[in-house]
Amino acid sequence: MSPTEPSPVADAIQSDSNPVRDAIAQAIAEHKVILFMKGTPEAPACGFSARTVAVLQALDAPFAAVDILPDPRIRQELSAISDWPTIPQLFVGGELLGGCDIVIEMYESGELAQALL
Amino acid sequence: MPSAEDIRERIEHSIPGALADVEDYTGGGDHFRATVTAAAFEGRSRIEQHRLVYEVFGEEIGGAIHAISLKTQTPQKASIQ
Repeated sequence: MSPTEPSPVADAIQSDSNPVRDAIAQAIAEHKVILFMKGTPEAPACGFSARTVAVLQALDAPFAAVDILPDPRIRQELSAISDWPTIPQLFVGGELLGGCDIVIEMYESGELAQALL
Repeated sequence: MPSAEDIRERIEHSIPGALADVEDYTGGGDHFRATVTAAAFEGRSRIEQHRLVYEVFGEEIGGAIHAISLKTQTPQKASIQ
């Protein structure tokens, strides 16, 4: 084991006793605002992920981010948990708030700022 | 590759009373933008409304259909705008 604490998702990928799905559920439970995306906030790998990051940053909202690209199981298990087929997925307070379209729509109507309070 | 027309027909056939306006915004048959108006959305959250549309395509979303950008509304909301 590494002395530093790895991200829960990365840790699970290396361990059969700690499935990917549990790690994703745990990450969602532990972070008030968490975005599952393609790439990173600094280097988004998809326009939809980039737009979602941009509105969160426009609201100065702190958020955790998980890149789903390094392991296909992350996306598979995430969609199984959320019943949502596309990426990105934004969770607030343990609940799926939406994908890119819903997050942008809520940003434009002012609902996103409310939801992130 | 499906056309915007294919996507529109499938949404309108699968969701009773739905009206869909679909655009293939890259022209490549894999990125679509759809506005769907349906009474079936009444009383459902945005997430549930989008799920109803995603369910029409199942595994194709993220596969053959890379993305469908969605806007969903009830007929009541559509008539106000």
